[in-house]
Amino acid sequence: MKRYNIRIAGVGGQGVVTSAHILGNAMSAAGKYATLVPFFGSEKRMAPVEAYVRVSDQPIYEVGEVVYPNVIMIYHPQVITHGKSYTMPFYSGLKENGLAIINTDVDIVPEEDWVVLKELNTRVYMFPATKLALDIAGTELATNMAMIGLFFGITRIVGFEHIEQAVKERFLGNTFVASGGTTALDSAIEKKFKKKMELLEKNMQVIREAFKVAEERGWVEEEALTT
Amino acid sequence: MPEQRVVDADYLLLEAPRERKFITGAQAMAEAVKRANVDIAIAYPITPQSEVMHLVGDIWAQGYLKDYYRAEEEYGAMSAIAGAVRGGARAFSATSGPGLLRGLEAIASWPGHRIPAVLGVLTRVVNAPLSIQPDNVEISYLLNCGMVVLHAENQQDVFDFTLASFIISEKVDVYIPIAVCTEGFFVTHAKGYVNMTPEDMKLPPRDPYKAPVPPTDCEIPPARIQRDAPVQKSNFMSYLIHAVWQQEIWASNRRAMKYIYKYLGGPIEVVNPDAEVFVVASGCAAAQGREAVRYAQLEGLNVGLVKVKSICPFPVNEVRQVLSKAKAIIVPEHNIVGWLAKEVKAAIPNSDAVIGGPRVYGGMTLPVELIMEKVYDAFGIKKEKKVVV
Amino acid sequence: MGLEYVRISPGFEKYMPKDYVDLVQYGQFGKEIDVQQLGQFKELVEEHPMCAGCFMAYFVRVFYASLPKPEDTIVIGTAGCARLALSQAAVPFIYGNYGDTNAVASGLKRALSIRFPDKEKDVVVIAGDGGLIDIGFGMTMHSWFRREKFTTIMVDNEVYGNTGGQESGMSPRGVQLKMAPKGKQFDKINAVELAKVAGCVYVAKLAPTNPKRIAKTVRRAILAARHFGPTFIHAYTSCNIEYSIPTEKVLEDARKREKQDFGFYEWMTDEVKEFFEELERKPEEVKA
Repeated sequence: MKRYNIRIAGVGGQGVVTSAHILGNAMSAAGKYATLVPFFGSEKRMAPVEAYVRVSDQPIYEVGEVVYPNVIMIYHPQVITHGKSYTMPFYSGLKENGLAIINTDVDIVPEEDWVVLKELNTRVYMFPATKLALDIAGTELATNMAMIGLFFGITRIVGFEHIEQAVKERFLGNTFVASGGTTALDSAIEKKFKKKMELLEKNMQVIREAFKVAEERGWVEEEALTT
Repeated sequence: MPEQRVVDADYLLLEAPRERKFITGAQAMAEAVKRANVDIAIAYPITPQSEVMHLVGDIWAQGYLKDYYRAEEEYGAMSAIAGAVRGGARAFSATSGPGLLRGLEAIASWPGHRIPAVLGVLTRVVNAPLSIQPDNVEISYLLNCGMVVLHAENQQDVFDFTLASFIISEKVDVYIPIAVCTEGFFVTHAKGYVNMTPEDMKLPPRDPYKAPVPPTDCEIPPARIQRDAPVQKSNFMSYLIHAVWQQEIWASNRRAMKYIYKYLGGPIEVVNPDAEVFVVASGCAAAQGREAVRYAQLEGLNVGLVKVKSICPFPVNEVRQVLSKAKAIIVPEHNIVGWLAKEVKAAIPNSDAVIGGPRVYGGMTLPVELIMEKVYDAFGIKKEKKVVV
Repeated sequence: MGLEYVRISPGFEKYMPKDYVDLVQYGQFGKEIDVQQLGQFKELVEEHPMCAGCFMAYFVRVFYASLPKPEDTIVIGTAGCARLALSQAAVPFIYGNYGDTNAVASGLKRALSIRFPDKEKDVVVIAGDGGLIDIGFGMTMHSWFRREKFTTIMVDNEVYGNTGGQESGMSPRGVQLKMAPKGKQFDKINAVELAKVAGCVYVAKLAPTNPKRIAKTVRRAILAARHFGPTFIHAYTSCNIEYSIPTEKVLEDARKREKQDFGFYEWMTDEVKEFFEELERKPEEVKA
């Protein structure tokens, strides 16, 4: 049985909650299980944001914030460098043999934190998600897509088609209840991309590229490779 | 909106085909209202309840309900619900924490007025300092009103409990309101799988003449009690009228139990009935309890779960029977007062086996690991502070 | 159904209480009653436990004799003096929590409109100054803002009579009452103007010195609410106990207040005015 209890930390405007929804919906599309919990607070641009997702191929009952994660995803380097996070230090509560995916192009983890992560036998993946988003989609707003792309690329818990379905639902479906702020952001993005389909395609390209990164660097989980 | 056809209540609740959707708890509640042939819903904003009543407003706009409005405040909303139900309509509202307390004078009088309304209670912190997080202390305020209080664990429960409540509350031998409680955010804003009845089927409309106390609609002689209010009488008459009326309400509350068996599969759910140690929990704490049972299994510990669905009427006999041989009874709760632990202790002879807690409050999350600490204590296991999977 | 539910099933006449049989045979139901016939027919309210000489009790009596369709009327009251008589009347009465009248009436009226779209069912709130303008202020106002179609009648005795004589928002400035040991510090609230700006389509103010005028005002308020929107009557109904008005001086006091600040006042929208002009030309249709 696979079970990932994920804590996502980022800053307002990065689409942290949106990507949590996509993670969950992709699991649902694959006929698997997910529960997600957004951080409950007022949302502000560049203020810390957390979201929590549990994914598994078995039913999940647990609710609430993930206090003891086995996956940590850091969407913005400032979470670590500036302490822009509700959970300090960023790895607090991380279980042994866990996973940390960090959006950065240089090693930003302080030495003393490395000691702890090694003690916990954490697999740390540093990955320039924003750079990838800019290169492929031409906007840093696709950072979240790169991050979930890498997560799925590593864990392979759902197929690419399931992710595509979830992203489609998010950008084309009308079932998603977004906050007013998210809706306004959407229209800003839409102007940039002109068309929704184009937006979707760019997002999928970013995700595809992140999958490739996981494969090229040999990060794909062995168990996942065999299934 | 699809054309909805009325189907038999038992068919809809027990036999109708179901389709699985991945939706939030708020959506699940609104979807139940959509299928319940509700006449009127009355809303007043409060976080985290608002989303439910937004969605109910949307389904009114689509034509599923006949009337809907945003009231001036919760006291007004709950009083108007009383008016609408006395006028013979099927009515729904929902609220949260401080809103529940603001409406409580009206809500607490519903059972006495014999108002079979359904109220969604999406819990949130009620006491200062101000917070909007999902503490469920407000449920304790409902337990002495006489109304039926159900506590939903997840989105599926929210759908099932809400839909069934319209039918249970209107049973002639019940005829009191039902609160369907669940944790705000943890359930209302989180998604889960919900098996739902078809969108084109709805419950039969309310028949207000099938009632122990008739509606006030000038179609039928009104209830005698309206002319004979106890306040008009001598002290002794006043005591007597009010006393028998209250007795009848609490008897009605207990009579709801057979319908809780029929439509909700009973007031409790037991996982691993032969366990040595039990977790007894309601609402989303039961979900955490389920995970604790799994964790314990991985470690070879014999732990069971009693999920309490109906807080009032409290399943005294059922709980007593399951827990008769329990070595320890762990009651995790999302509030500081431990209202569930008190109910459990009062229900069983071996109340010293009850470990009141772990309790989290202020809306904090309840990690399974906290429950596991109590489990280790119960088995006398000393653990290093290390997280478990 | 109206008259149907009032009627006694054939064969049961001799088992029903005499009061009830009289009510059906010699009461107002289904008949055109002139308020000046009071005493010549079986009234909807007769016995009540209100104080001797209470002018509110008199107003309530005239109110019931003025109902255009008592068999299709529901009265809503709240804690206070008036409900002592209201609950004794042969008209369905709802008595909820203190101050909730206009919220309950909103829900009730809407339920009746949903269930009986083709029938006229009148909902009338009668509550005191405390219930409507103090504790229930928000609900009173919002029922008007929402244009709920029912009548609100404030029986204003300028005091909390039932709880022992405390100051209310409608007490005149300077009056010394319980909870106002140094006298009331602010003016009597102008309920009539509030009603007008809040959206009532018919507003009246009166001291009950003239039963025919009370009857006409009540009837107009109910008919206007039936067809157009919220209506409001502000009636001075003195408390002879708390204000120490000798019983034989109650009418005199009302006449004095009429000259002073309770002169008859009536205001309605143009639409309502036209309606009454049309209707009152043919008085036989008022009942219809």
